[in-house]
Amino acid sequence: MKILGISAHYHDSAAALVSDGVPLCAVQEERLSRRKGDAAFPAGAIEWCLDHAGLSPDDLDAVVFYERSMLKFERILTCALRAFPQSWRSFPAAMKNSLGEKVWVRGIISAHLGVPRSKILFTAHHQSHAAATFLTAPTRRAAILTADGVGEWATLTVGQGERRADGGTAISLLREIRFPHSLGMLYSTFTAYLGFAVNDGEYKVMGLAAYGRPTQVDRVRRLIRRTPDGAFTLDVDYFEYHSSATRSYSSRFVELFGPPRAPYEPIDLDTAEGHRFADCAASVQWVLEETLVDLTRALHQETGLPDLCLGGGVALNGVANARILDESGFERVFVPPAPGDSGCALGAALYADRVYFGQPDRDLPDHPFWGPHVDSKDLLRVAREDGQDVEELADPRLIERIADALHAGSVVGWMEGACEFGPRALGHRSILAAPHSAEMRDRLNRDIKYREEFRPFAPVIPVESAHRYFELPPGGARLGRFMSGVFPVRPEWRSKLAAITHVDGSARVQVLEREMAPRLYELLEAYGRRSGIPVLLNTSFNVAGEPIVCSALEGYSTFRRCGIDMLVAAPVVVTKRGLSQVKTLKEEALA
Amino acid sequence: MGWIGGVRTYAIMGVGRSAKVDRILRSVHRWVWGDFDRRVRKLLSFAEVETGGGRDVLRAAEVTPDPLLRRLYLAHAIDELHHGDLFRQRGAALLRSRSNRTAPGAPLNWLPSVGHGLDDLRIDDEPDESLLAFLHLSEKAAAGRFSIYREVVEDDPSTRAVFDEILRDEVFHMNYTYTQLARISPDSYRRRLWRARASRLWKQYLRVAEAIANVFGTIMLTAQYFILLPPFAWLAKRAMRREQPGWRALPPERRESLTSQY
Repeated sequence: MKILGISAHYHDSAAALVSDGVPLCAVQEERLSRRKGDAAFPAGAIEWCLDHAGLSPDDLDAVVFYERSMLKFERILTCALRAFPQSWRSFPAAMKNSLGEKVWVRGIISAHLGVPRSKILFTAHHQSHAAATFLTAPTRRAAILTADGVGEWATLTVGQGERRADGGTAISLLREIRFPHSLGMLYSTFTAYLGFAVNDGEYKVMGLAAYGRPTQVDRVRRLIRRTPDGAFTLDVDYFEYHSSATRSYSSRFVELFGPPRAPYEPIDLDTAEGHRFADCAASVQWVLEETLVDLTRALHQETGLPDLCLGGGVALNGVANARILDESGFERVFVPPAPGDSGCALGAALYADRVYFGQPDRDLPDHPFWGPHVDSKDLLRVAREDGQDVEELADPRLIERIADALHAGSVVGWMEGACEFGPRALGHRSILAAPHSAEMRDRLNRDIKYREEFRPFAPVIPVESAHRYFELPPGGARLGRFMSGVFPVRPEWRSKLAAITHVDGSARVQVLEREMAPRLYELLEAYGRRSGIPVLLNTSFNVAGEPIVCSALEGYSTFRRCGIDMLVAAPVVVTKRGLSQVKTLKEEALA
Repeated sequence: MGWIGGVRTYAIMGVGRSAKVDRILRSVHRWVWGDFDRRVRKLLSFAEVETGGGRDVLRAAEVTPDPLLRRLYLAHAIDELHHGDLFRQRGAALLRSRSNRTAPGAPLNWLPSVGHGLDDLRIDDEPDESLLAFLHLSEKAAAGRFSIYREVVEDDPSTRAVFDEILRDEVFHMNYTYTQLARISPDSYRRRLWRARASRLWKQYLRVAEAIANVFGTIMLTAQYFILLPPFAWLAKRAMRREQPGWRALPPERRESLTSQY
């Protein structure tokens, strides 16, 4: 069976194609449209998936949308009614937004692809999350917890998944917590309060939290109360996201926590104001962690299963994931490379295949590389046309050359094979650098990523060496496979790994197995032979505000306008000469 | 104005000849820029537009098959991204200069968004000739407007300096787009420019039409909200009060069917 999964219309839309039970390809629309977090209908991603698989829409057995759009509309309408008359300003915007496009998904898909309406299916939003995490994890039975801002009504669900011996698959979501009570919205509200963009800046809150102390936990607990059945409820008087289209926190929230941060104001951690914001971040992070640990501990006691699959945008919080692994009682915690809404495209397609159509279970490749491949010939052509220093090197020489450059302090743009599906760069579209000095971290933030100085960088390390440098608990290496956990750097190595050690001594480590990215693995080994430490700094290949690069040409244009020294798309290596040629052209035109 | 290779180019002074409409609206611009909040809001919104435009030009650099255009687009994109930073930094500096640092709210904008900087242009689908013609006209219009803004912020030397710097780059952008258009389309570059003008006019008409529809839609929906919704709102609130907080069990039948959008 050939099934296309689609997620769209909220943030980070994507398409994924499953053929005979195995993903063929998956890509976020933003990687093709070059608009970060692109929420538009993923026409480009769908077209690429079909082209890549050599299929036409007629070949598809089903097209699965990742949520039930009418149920979502019902929630939006109901919330407007509940907030009457305060919702009078947001109501027209919400109706125009929904009725203009979002509720007509079946027609939109049918019109775009020309498939009969009967082939178009709908999974529930959290069903898609659950499928995305359980069906891609190497486990037979697992408890499932999904948590995000909101889907249709659900904001958090728990359940179980099972691959039966007869080849059948069951995913049962047993209960849910409903909007407006949402851990994701709680965290997003603080994201907005701290002046970051919602759905984009949540990881900045997590990074900022390490600089603060959880001094405001009691205040945050006024916002979120536990219920007798073990769930939670938010005090909606502190929030406006359920009644306003423009603001997520209320004036009561501001009375409780003080004035919000202006988005364009830099956070100065040497000031009392900067510390207040860091403390707010630390406090909401603490409450999020303790709530998740409680929920997962109860789920472990209820199911008695050793494995937990986490899904939804909240599962991107690596600090919380590490605490869940440490304190919930689960032995293994699985988080897919794309736990957020983009991953729902794959989850929806897999759910339809295994559960709806009852296709037999299949082992899936355990990697995130489902996107477009890089074409080194494109890089070779444009770099030569621009008169850059270009080399073509076969593998052993290429690895040695790049390891030498990294050891000498160069920053390398590294592109290989298919691009990652999900928000993390896991070695196919990465910027690599030596991890040893704080100066390197500052240089990357200042000259290459153009981002806030409090943001940490992640390391990548071969699995065999991971325990030597990082305090990984049992199951930690698995969580680190897709950079889903934050773990302490061993104290004796922190000064030698200063660029990737966060202020609290932790790092969001990627633990690499050779078969997942062999060339990067060899580079780590080669670098280890030079530096004595087989660790590299690995950050996503993009600059602030832009999606991760996808094609060689996008990598090249990013390379040309920021402080990256070398660009690699094996076997092609480009070394920067500077922008002098561009400047000359500009001067000529002005003359 | 000058000529390079038989093609008209603009000097810095040329940008002072702003569009007629903008000249007529000079007093409106003075009023808009005279208010602190509006000034900050304008600068920050310009920052977003310039950054978005820069990314679009960057995209053009990535997809063009012409090596010279690639380098020029790249220089142009770097300029636009830099302009975005300049506007952002100036807006933030103004915000810092007052005691209440809360950013001004979003502007009341009845016109629909112009998209990602370059007026909803789909860069990947545009041939270089169309893109150059469009860029030339956009840069010319922006330069004209910025030259007026530079005049009306004479009380604010730092903001004026930002416009000065940006205007210098806009001259380069206007010139290279014009000369390159003439290079790659020597026989039809004037026709391309007229077509781009017509396209801009059409898009402006669509924006205005959409804005009018938007206003009507808002009025109709607001009227419905107050006339039709109150009894349903009462029912919804009553139902909400009866809801138990905490977990809600999921009925099995809701988990199985994939054919319904409900």
